[in-house]
Amino acid sequence: MAEVTLYHWEPNANSGKPMLALMEKGVAFDSHYIDMLNFEQHRPEYLAINPQGTIPAMTYGDRVLVESTAIMEYVNEQFAGPDLMPGDARDRWRIRWWMKFMDQWLAPSFSMFGWKYFVGPNALAAHGQEKIEAQIARIPLPERQTAWRKAVFGLFSEAEMAESGRRIAVGIEMLERELGKREWLASDHYSLADVNGFNLAYALPLSQPHLSNDDLTPNIMRWLRAIYRRPATQACWKLGRTPMASRVAILEQDYIPPRAEAEGIVSGVR
Amino acid sequence: MSTILYHGEPNGPSLAVLAALGESGLDIECQPIDLLAGERHRLPGVTEPVARDMGVEGEGPVLVIDGEAMTESVFIAQYLDETGANTLQPRDAYAHWQMLMWCRRITERCAPAAAFLGCKAQAHAVLSAMDETPWGDVLAAIASEDLRGRWSAVRTGDFPEAPLTDSANKVADAVAMVEQQLADGRDWLMGDLTVADFETYGWLAGMPALLPAAFAASPRTAAWLDRVRTRPSVQAALARAATVNPEAAWAPGPEINRWG
Ligand SMILES: N[C@@H](CCC(=O)N[C@@H](CS)C(=O)NCC(=O)O)C(=O)O
Repeated sequence: MAEVTLYHWEPNANSGKPMLALMEKGVAFDSHYIDMLNFEQHRPEYLAINPQGTIPAMTYGDRVLVESTAIMEYVNEQFAGPDLMPGDARDRWRIRWWMKFMDQWLAPSFSMFGWKYFVGPNALAAHGQEKIEAQIARIPLPERQTAWRKAVFGLFSEAEMAESGRRIAVGIEMLERELGKREWLASDHYSLADVNGFNLAYALPLSQPHLSNDDLTPNIMRWLRAIYRRPATQACWKLGRTPMASRVAILEQDYIPPRAEAEGIVSGVR
Repeated sequence: MSTILYHGEPNGPSLAVLAALGESGLDIECQPIDLLAGERHRLPGVTEPVARDMGVEGEGPVLVIDGEAMTESVFIAQYLDETGANTLQPRDAYAHWQMLMWCRRITERCAPAAAFLGCKAQAHAVLSAMDETPWGDVLAAIASEDLRGRWSAVRTGDFPEAPLTDSANKVADAVAMVEQQLADGRDWLMGDLTVADFETYGWLAGMPALLPAAFAASPRTAAWLDRVRTRPSVQAALARAATVNPEAAWAPGPEINRWG
């Protein structure tokens, strides 16, 4: 049995960050899939590990680590293997800046769409209203209760969705410009910023086909395909079990043309 | 290499970075700017503005190196530490994770709350007294739409009851967290002095004046605030103040979490 155990959902967003970082480092770990749509993250077995009832969490010996980006930094510092932070201090600053920007400004906007169009409806279809109410009442963090309630009962306001949509468009433009400056995001080295960013952006040409494609964002597309081809990425996305993770296969196409905004919503998770 | 640190009054994130600079031993030119006059958005010689324009922190300090604007006080502090004396971050990976988690807890939950309360108490009066023309110039210089919205809310005095209560609770939570952390008699939050002490101090230093009750039953926190304040690096930072009471100086900060 490996010494490291990772509790994660799909290779996607916060769960995917430490998964891919561990795989890039070549650290063997026990993968413990938590079925988020089945509320496994709120079961007593898991709450004993992370009382907040959020994923991901990682254990190493008797230590428990949470918070996806901080886990990645820990993994990079603790274990041997390729360094996922460059030697130059200003590059490291830029990488940290981009990770915070993505984690706290951009990703929550993406996830508002993901929760509204995928997580909420799927969970509701699987469990029905009554059971879901009871599940939500058991969630330890008040902000996660709010998120579930809004997602399941379609309570995100128009203003909230519009603001998230605006941020997604701004964020895509920023990423495109940044990736025009260097080979990788925020530095000339493949780093934690790329691992983080790929988890946020891998499905862009499918979910935002009017904003991200080979005509409009060639740098983003070059970058996504380069990360997609890495053996660690291939191994990581094999751990996915839902249609969410399988969206990554779009990166096998050599040319992705612009499509209408509506097609992004139909395609599953926007 | 041309390097200048632009900072506001030594409070909040500006104080944290000035103190980290002091500890780093680096000799870097410091330029005070008037945050509430919008000077942060009109810095000379910035050729790479994205971090200044879109940073999550709001009106924090800006370190400009060869035209690149660097922001987010924790990361600037890490940069200064790593380029200089390298004493402010734990060597052990797990202890380093703990420090990062602590800082994130402060920047994500306490900082938006402190800035909200501080802006109501101080920045609102300054911005609401501003004439339309300079105000228009300030708004026009701010690139980020949501940051612009936070400025406007401070000028008009849009401080609803719910976020005020929530903010007071979050500051009280941060004080409780500090009190708890110091329970084993340690001098500094992480054991050794780290970036976390300065980041936490920056956001909390002005809070006893606004929320005395939150500090009433926290003697260890009071002693720690004194310890940080009397640190030579913090004294040197405070000596840069242009006003008598820099702890009362605020500017629009990070946004309060949109997910509630
Ligand atoms: N900031 C945390 C966020 C963790 C988090 O909230 N994860 C979500 C999934 S991405 C979760 O656990 N949701 C479970 C729930 O809401 O029940 C991180 O990056 O690890």
